[in-house]
Amino acid sequence: MGKYTRGQSHVHPTWRWVSERGLRVATGDATLAYYAALVSQNFAEIDDIILADESLLLVLQRGAAVSADLRAVLMAPLLGTQAAIGKLHEIVVEYGGAAGPDLPLMADLAGMSLAAYINSHTAADYAVAFLGFQPGFPYLRGLPRALHAQRRASPRLRVAAGSVAIGGGYTGIYPACGPGGWQIIGRTRSVLFDPQRDAPALLMPGDRVRFVSL
Amino acid sequence: MIEVLHAGLCDLVMDPGRPGWAALGVPAGGAADPAALAAANRLVGNDAAAAGLEIVLRGPGLRFPVGGVVALAGARFAATRSSGAALAWNETLVLAAGETLRLEEAEVGCRCWLAVRGGLAVPPVMGSRSTFLPAGFGGYLGRALQAGDVLASGPQAEGIHLLRARMPLGERDTPLRVVAGPQADLFDDAGLAAFFAGTYRVGAASDRRGLRLAGPLVTHARTALPSQGVLPGAVQIPPDGQPIILGWDGPVTGGYPVIAGVIAADMPRVAQLRPGDPVRFVTIELEMARALAAARWDIEDIA
Repeated sequence: MGKYTRGQSHVHPTWRWVSERGLRVATGDATLAYYAALVSQNFAEIDDIILADESLLLVLQRGAAVSADLRAVLMAPLLGTQAAIGKLHEIVVEYGGAAGPDLPLMADLAGMSLAAYINSHTAADYAVAFLGFQPGFPYLRGLPRALHAQRRASPRLRVAAGSVAIGGGYTGIYPACGPGGWQIIGRTRSVLFDPQRDAPALLMPGDRVRFVSL
Repeated sequence: MIEVLHAGLCDLVMDPGRPGWAALGVPAGGAADPAALAAANRLVGNDAAAAGLEIVLRGPGLRFPVGGVVALAGARFAATRSSGAALAWNETLVLAAGETLRLEEAEVGCRCWLAVRGGLAVPPVMGSRSTFLPAGFGGYLGRALQAGDVLASGPQAEGIHLLRARMPLGERDTPLRVVAGPQADLFDDAGLAAFFAGTYRVGAASDRRGLRLAGPLVTHARTALPSQGVLPGAVQIPPDGQPIILGWDGPVTGGYPVIAGVIAADMPRVAQLRPGDPVRFVTIELEMARALAAARWDIEDIA
């Protein structure tokens, strides 16, 4: 099966089965646009949709076939279609110290002073690519190249809720306390996930984020 | 009403789960064998989607101050009831006021489901009463039952019918059926041979998030990928070469190559695997897997 070619939005996505209920759609940089198109049409055979890195995983109801309408959406080029621009959130972060134990190492790797590193992290515009790992955990795209960093060789057993972290080319925020392998640079008091709220996840795919230093 | 006299290893309130929230990073979760819970529910006159208890390896002691109608399905546990009456699996059981039900160790398998007439009346969270332990919500206060907990049941249907369920005749002592995984091509011949010829053992660190297997090393060309959506049953191979079968409460995205996916029809068997059990895999065609219907529990009157 071919690959979606970045920058050629006239190319329709390709898909393949993942186990017998999953349909992985290679969506390239149109992931959010395809997600929005699928959600708006509310296909009866789709139980769930998982967003990920340049792909969607459609979870079909057990035994369901792909309807002609769904096939049509998957075949259609989303020419010039943009996902609606999401909400802009300002996330206040306490950088460094006990809240961000990996900040000195990260600044070192980036060849920056702590202040310059924080500046760089707060100056960027981020977009929520997808949520995963934990409920409400945002994978934020837009991290400046110089700030990209490998995950820790061995994960921490306990990362505090609200920890702002670096994992590869992403920055993210841990909604809940738990184990985690990303590099922790700070902490926010924002509540990223609350299952009792009408909108349980604070940040949704497509939303934009600016970090503000406390 | 049910009083928890003592807790089992991990008693969780479960219903069919909460599909539809994966975009928020929330897996569907729910009973590890939804057909077994549905059968138990039907035996007590409940809607098949009512909440019951999922009990694993060692069960709780429960007291029913005003009596109740219950049913057990799934793995058989050593169990007693204070009245001394017979305690059958897959049958409607009528408990007298003040009666206690004690489930000890599982005799075979790993999990059973207890349905209670009226269903367990915990508040639904994001559309489901299932406990999601990794994030601590749903079910009874987002956690496993503890001694002293009191569970309420919902409104009950009229009349009691004594029913018996017949478990579907499933595969036994055969390898788990899988379809090739999306990254099967990232493994070399030695890795694939090790995986499909080898016998693995279920590790002690297994839970509803994933079953950790120990056995022949599965070598691969690449160990990390962009994050991809994953489903329960996906067999991930982390860098240490030891497979993990993702469970019902596993993450919705993963970055390890997936060598194979356990078919939905065999996930109830995965639910019954206990630490130390042997696991082997066999590939079947995708179209064959898609054609397999959900196993059916037949319900009949007790004559």
